Amino acid sequence: MSGNVILVTGGSGLVGQGIKHIIETEPAGSRFGKRDNETWIFATSSEGDLRDAEQTRKLFDKYKPTHVIHLAAIVGGVFANMKSNASFLRDNMLINDNILHTAYLTKVKKVVSCLSTCVFPDKVTYPLDESKIHLGPPHPSNFGYSHAKRTVDIQNRAYKEQYGCNFTSAIPTNVFGPYDNFDLEDAHVIPALIHKCLLAKENKTPFVVAGTGKPLRQFIYSRDLGKMFIWMLREYDDVDPVILSVGEAEEITIKQVTDAIVKAVGFQGDYTFDTAKADGQYRKPASNKKLISLMGGFEYTPFEDALDFTVKWFLENYDTARTGMKKKTAA
Amino acid sequence: MTRKTILVTGSRGLVGQAIKYTIETEPAGSRFGKHDNETWIFTTSADADLRDPEQTRKLFDKYKPTHVIHLAAVVGGVFANMRANATFLRDNMLINDNILHTSYLTKVDKVVSCLSTCVFPDKITYPIDETKVHLGPPHGSNFGYAHAKRTVDIQNHAYREQYGCNFTSAIPTNVFGPNDNFDLDDAHVIPALIHKCYLAKENQTPFIAAGTGKPLRQFIYSRDLSKMFIWMIREYNDVEPVVLSTGETDEITIRQASDAIVRAVGFKGEYSFDPTKTDGQYRRPVSNEKLMSLMGGFEFTPFEEALDFTVKWFMENYDTARTGTNKNPVTASVA
Repeated sequence: MSGNVILVTGGSGLVGQGIKHIIETEPAGSRFGKRDNETWIFATSSEGDLRDAEQTRKLFDKYKPTHVIHLAAIVGGVFANMKSNASFLRDNMLINDNILHTAYLTKVKKVVSCLSTCVFPDKVTYPLDESKIHLGPPHPSNFGYSHAKRTVDIQNRAYKEQYGCNFTSAIPTNVFGPYDNFDLEDAHVIPALIHKCLLAKENKTPFVVAGTGKPLRQFIYSRDLGKMFIWMLREYDDVDPVILSVGEAEEITIKQVTDAIVKAVGFQGDYTFDTAKADGQYRKPASNKKLISLMGGFEYTPFEDALDFTVKWFLENYDTARTGMKKKTAA
Repeated sequence: MTRKTILVTGSRGLVGQAIKYTIETEPAGSRFGKHDNETWIFTTSADADLRDPEQTRKLFDKYKPTHVIHLAAVVGGVFANMRANATFLRDNMLINDNILHTSYLTKVDKVVSCLSTCVFPDKITYPIDETKVHLGPPHGSNFGYAHAKRTVDIQNHAYREQYGCNFTSAIPTNVFGPNDNFDLDDAHVIPALIHKCYLAKENQTPFIAAGTGKPLRQFIYSRDLSKMFIWMIREYNDVEPVVLSTGETDEITIRQASDAIVRAVGFKGEYSFDPTKTDGQYRRPVSNEKLMSLMGGFEFTPFEEALDFTVKWFMENYDTARTGTNKNPVTASVA
């Protein structure tokens, strides 16, 4: 069997580390474990700035990938995006064009790129599914980033149609896990709540959560997601994206999430919701029917186990984790 | 008065040549004529390959534009697009990024880019208007080109929001006129019919137009369109696009267009329609209400007059016009 070289861009992030953990710990030759004929490369921005065509080409020449899992992106929280929609649009379009075009030129056999649920239209009927991506404009707060990601789906279809390239994409929803961005300025809800709770415990201050706690979300553990990416890379050859998510029945409330965090952190003090703060959307259900029917089922890590592990990881790795301004208490 | 240098990219084409014509012939200082404080530069692909950022930057450094009318694009007919959606997507995104980003870096005061009615969603409620650009996917046949053009509107909004750039866009519909592409394999309907009819006259063969002749379209004369671009570069400062078109009541059938062509060519032979060939969409009405209210009205060249001029131009300039290599009207892919 000739060897496959699988290049994972953005290898240091939440999802990249999730894939890395699975490849390094699942039994060799098992469904999600490393195969004998595979070499896995986890590249980070220190190896090359993918906004630059030259540096991207050098990376490909160095590793000669046969396959690419493309996770690298310029990302940020809501406020960073709102201030820089042009930069988020352009930089991500540069990265994506460099990866896809270089993959085409060097005859890479397959590329699985990472989209995001923010690519979906702002006004859309629920649940979200793979057919609805282009049915209207995305939310304006990060339209630059969203548009750059949507363009990947357009590029995939164009390269497949004109050149027969096997390019496709995954749409993860609400990922959490170790190696996340816990910076209170722009973290997503689970890492933000974990960080806030920890600080409240350390500083012996109340733990106040913004909103009512009632909104519902589907969260996927990065290590479960890692398995899905590995499955897609090996077995999924359609150009249409696949949503990678837990089922709609696994929706949980922000309050349930917070309770689990409080338990895992071992926070004993006052814990309340500030109902004057905005909740965000009440529900954003996404369908994982396509994924489950293609994979033939999936054994998800129970939410509390995954959350508990993530909290413990954060406590143990606080000093090296991405925490931003460490002493902030407001969100 | 501050001096303006207005760079028009893609000026070899149908729209660029019309802008050049209007600037050179309208009375100086008039509404659509050249103003004293303006220098107009008309560039083509011979001046720079705009897919290359270096060449684009050199062009900007050479002319130091304060304003840009960005018309340059990699274009083609339906079949060319269907074979090369990745190329049409990528090359046009490269051109557009180079123009817009270089304009931002060199502090150009204003850019008016040219979109196309093909950017609109395939499934849409009529009439088409400026608010509907992103409400669904475009037609599949040229989705690469359409997506690259839509992205210009996204870029305009992004550069405006982050940097305050005055970038905007125009959406012309069904343009015709001298200097068009008359290549039978990928021309649009009017130039294709003109070329076919001309060949039928020369070869003394029947002139057979494809389809039933019943579909309706709004056509805009390139020289009328050019006045609208000149108006936009001087007076329109909103980021939202403007549809540049005749009114919905000015829809005409393909048959009416074809009859007018027959008259203008002076074709006396057998003239008929082949209803077994595809018609395309029956109607695609577009609203020009926004344009009219902003411009305060517009005196369009009567269709027959514009068409007659275009036909005469084609016949006089046949040897240098863009006629392609297929001179067999029977095998023409379009019309």
